[in-house]
Amino acid sequence: MSNEQARAESRATVFFAISAVASIGLAITYWQGGQPQLEGVLLAVITGGIGFAIVSWAKHAMPHDLVTEERDTVASTDDEVEAFSADLERGVEGIGRRRALLVAAGSAITAFGAALLFPIRSLGPRPGAGLKSTPYAGRHKRVVTADGKPVTPSDLATDGVVTVWPEGHTDAADSPTLLIRTRKSQKFKARKGREDWRVGDIVAYSKLCTHVGCPVGLYQAQKGLLLCPCHQSTFNVLDGARPVFGPAARSLPQLPLGLNDDGEIIARGDFSGPVGPGFWDRDRH
Amino acid sequence: MASGMRHRAATVLLPVALSLGAAAAVMAWLSTTASASSAGRDTATGPSAPADQISTGRALFVTGCSSCHAVDGRGVTTDDGSVRGPSIIHTGEAGAYYQLSTGRMPLTDSSKQAERKPPAFDKTSIDALVAYVASLGTGPKLPHVRVADANLADGGEIFRANCAPCHSAAGSGGALSYGAAAPSLSQATALEVGAAVRSGPGQMPVFGPSSLSAGQVNDVSDYVQYLRAPDDRGGIPIGRTGPVPEGFVAWTLGMGALLAAVGWIGTRSPARESIEPGAGNEQ
Amino acid sequence: MTDTAKGPAGGRSKPPPNHGAPMMRRTARWLDRRLGAADFARTALNKVFPDHWSFMIGELALYCFIVLVVTGTYLAFFFQASTRQVVYHGVYKPLQGVHMSAAYKSAIDISFKVRAGLVMRQIHHWAALLFLASIVVHLARVFFTGAFRRPREINWMVGVTLLILAIFNGFAGYSLLDDQLSGTGLRIGYGIALSVPVIGTWIASLFFGGEFPGADIIGRLYVIHILIIPVLIGLLVATHLAILVRHKHTQFRGPGRKENNVVGERLWPTYAAKALGLLFLTASLLCLLGGLFQINPIWVFGPFNPAQVSAASQPDWYMGWLDGALRIMPGWETRLFGFELPNPFFPGALLGGATFALLYAWPFLEARVTRDHDEHHLLDRPRQRPVRTALGVATLSFYSVCFLGAASDVVASTFHVSVNRVLITLRLGVFLVPIIAAWATYRLCRELSDRDGLPVQSGVTFGQIGHRLRRSEADDEAGAEADTG
Repeated sequence: MSNEQARAESRATVFFAISAVASIGLAITYWQGGQPQLEGVLLAVITGGIGFAIVSWAKHAMPHDLVTEERDTVASTDDEVEAFSADLERGVEGIGRRRALLVAAGSAITAFGAALLFPIRSLGPRPGAGLKSTPYAGRHKRVVTADGKPVTPSDLATDGVVTVWPEGHTDAADSPTLLIRTRKSQKFKARKGREDWRVGDIVAYSKLCTHVGCPVGLYQAQKGLLLCPCHQSTFNVLDGARPVFGPAARSLPQLPLGLNDDGEIIARGDFSGPVGPGFWDRDRH
Repeated sequence: MASGMRHRAATVLLPVALSLGAAAAVMAWLSTTASASSAGRDTATGPSAPADQISTGRALFVTGCSSCHAVDGRGVTTDDGSVRGPSIIHTGEAGAYYQLSTGRMPLTDSSKQAERKPPAFDKTSIDALVAYVASLGTGPKLPHVRVADANLADGGEIFRANCAPCHSAAGSGGALSYGAAAPSLSQATALEVGAAVRSGPGQMPVFGPSSLSAGQVNDVSDYVQYLRAPDDRGGIPIGRTGPVPEGFVAWTLGMGALLAAVGWIGTRSPARESIEPGAGNEQ
Repeated sequence: MTDTAKGPAGGRSKPPPNHGAPMMRRTARWLDRRLGAADFARTALNKVFPDHWSFMIGELALYCFIVLVVTGTYLAFFFQASTRQVVYHGVYKPLQGVHMSAAYKSAIDISFKVRAGLVMRQIHHWAALLFLASIVVHLARVFFTGAFRRPREINWMVGVTLLILAIFNGFAGYSLLDDQLSGTGLRIGYGIALSVPVIGTWIASLFFGGEFPGADIIGRLYVIHILIIPVLIGLLVATHLAILVRHKHTQFRGPGRKENNVVGERLWPTYAAKALGLLFLTASLLCLLGGLFQINPIWVFGPFNPAQVSAASQPDWYMGWLDGALRIMPGWETRLFGFELPNPFFPGALLGGATFALLYAWPFLEARVTRDHDEHHLLDRPRQRPVRTALGVATLSFYSVCFLGAASDVVASTFHVSVNRVLITLRLGVFLVPIIAAWATYRLCRELSDRDGLPVQSGVTFGQIGHRLRRSEADDEAGAEADTG
């Protein structure tokens, strides 16, 4: 055994020993209740000790002769392929001419495959009106916070924002709505036909971004901008939540607001359009 | 031949130099941000502070703040129409306390968003200034924040619902539009949190007493205090900003170490080896 | 003819003289009597592998996969893939009394209650990040050395499929936890599915079992994540290795190396020992990362709520190119036949589809353009293929710009710059950077190969690519004959 090999083997022995000790350490750590950093480092020492031992041994104490092996072309000879084809076609000679048989067999297999796909239909319901309407549709409903409490205009300070849902539907994922009170000094431009959709300075928009549906959670009060943190779509609250930057191409749908007899804020109907991301037939009925 | 080599060297260097120049220009453009300024509010008034505190505050205000905000707090507009300092008559106790305690005010460079720095005034002076600013008009009161009996879990839920979109779930801050930013909360005291929540400084919305009750302000302030030293039982938190620093560590430390291991184990270049004739060649 | 089991019932033949390792010999004999594999095993032991360091990167991916399976199996005993709502009453105080899904609660319990649960979770997640990083580096190595050429096109396609499966499984894996960050990612996935023309709403509804978020998605992702994709990955990895063994590994040019030989080390003992050692070293690094570096602290993110979101929401790095493309895309939308083609379709489904279609097709595209349909077992040095190398670098830099886009808000807040300007810069960069990178790489390759006196292979220029894609060699020859004939 040469010097190099001897050194390598003693190094490997030391590494293996360290690894064994670390295993004991891991067992003790676990028995004592565990601790993530210790567990990770000890595991690293255990596996690393074995790894360094083996590699050290392989690099310095194992044979390293360079060897040459012949490599044939991957492709077989024409004769071999011919012989294989002949065997493969045994029993089906002339199949190419039996058109009706081939067509029938192909149809059977295709139909079987298609039939097997049918259970996929059970995975989910037909995409329906749910994508184009929210529980706000229909008769007027109060808007409520996540705790179910109704909102009066005085609950919302200037520059204030609160997330609300239609009453009774605080778990509806398509209905989160932003109530925002803009400043009197901020000039609000109502969309055509929506002049009476606000209550004072309070305006309501869908919270779901029209890009891919993230909640548009960032209200920048000073500028009157809503920013979506997912892809930085930016909407101008003072102009019907029109997109002014980023990948969103459509305004956030607006909710028509009103007041009931108790002075609480209500929704007088569904949003101005389907909420959330776009899809093929979004503006078809 | 030599001029040919120089020509070829230039055609490599030229696009590299152009790219570096373009990158430098882009970096310069990125670094200039839109201007930001604070603004006033209008909410409930509070009881007045003692008269001598207000007059002490007034004196401090005249020397330290009136050049931008005017002595009566109605703001200063220069002749060309630009606003040197906005009106602060509706800032209230909460707004004034927030700006002064975090050192954002007095502000030296109004072209950039104000950032936290060591406060320019001591506690007594801040209290006096706050009293004076509150007396100028109507503005949100400074809440009494008591975290001792706060509900930490409720605070977490309030934080994730209202604060995380801008300040991130770990309170490390986040980017807003056009150069503005929601700051990191790692140095925010409980009272500063309460003051900010009630006054909505800068781009921040206002959460009045009907949006967040006094108890809820206590809860969320408690949670923000927790976020200053959260449970990092997983190890080094690498910024707590999620997959971006995690991916960075994976590629630099992780792949770096793995490629180093592979480099140690494998051979370098076949061109440098020689094959001895007859060394174990197979048939 | 004698056979080995001669004499009275069950008698053994005489054992050979003992030298070497008697235990190993006895074991080998025992196995051979039952499998008859001595000859096959001998061929296998003596197989020659060239052991250049860059050939070991694929192995890194395999070892990360092994760690994933081991840690993942452990986690599967504790994780509950259920969206049933529960209330947390456990060790972690800031979530006391909070409503959450059983899936999220089980992940919190793994992190706080199960001994060694958190380190297993973290090792598993770091292993996933490095699994994908290794695949990508391995893909780059294979691409830039031309190892995908005939006869290895099938293996290349198997590899691309493995990349797709790995990306999807990683996404499915971290989405199982039903925390706020991954739930936001699922929402984006749902929106991208919706954006597909004609069938988008169907794809989304069938996959999620209705409108977002529904109650089914966690359970379905669980089946995909622990059964369907790992089995597919296992089968494809086995196929990948089998084809590799059939072809024998490629090698760089060098003394004594030819197209019809393999020069290297024998599999046994040295190559196998190195491979085994690398497995342990990889596991060691993953354990170190898992213990020392916190990853995916879901207790800070909170349980998923579809009306909430956090700043700095990004997917794991290997999906960054897709998320970044979504951010960089300006707010343009268009219509087709009177129907809506939503904005996310282009940087989402279309870019994703085009990426993988191009990857799959590359060996065949290159063969058509270079008109080289021979078998190749000797590798190229990248500098000898300036066009391919330049196109590869351009593609990598395109995806890197997209990748940077995903971090746009973190970049903006870290460096105190405007996120809008970052994105506008990236919109320009996504076109300019690949072009400049291609140009610089091409020049660099020409410089280096001239300096080293290496011949440039194939001699195809950028200008000829378009013509050669349209017309094959046979078409050109037919055209030439028609001219001269």
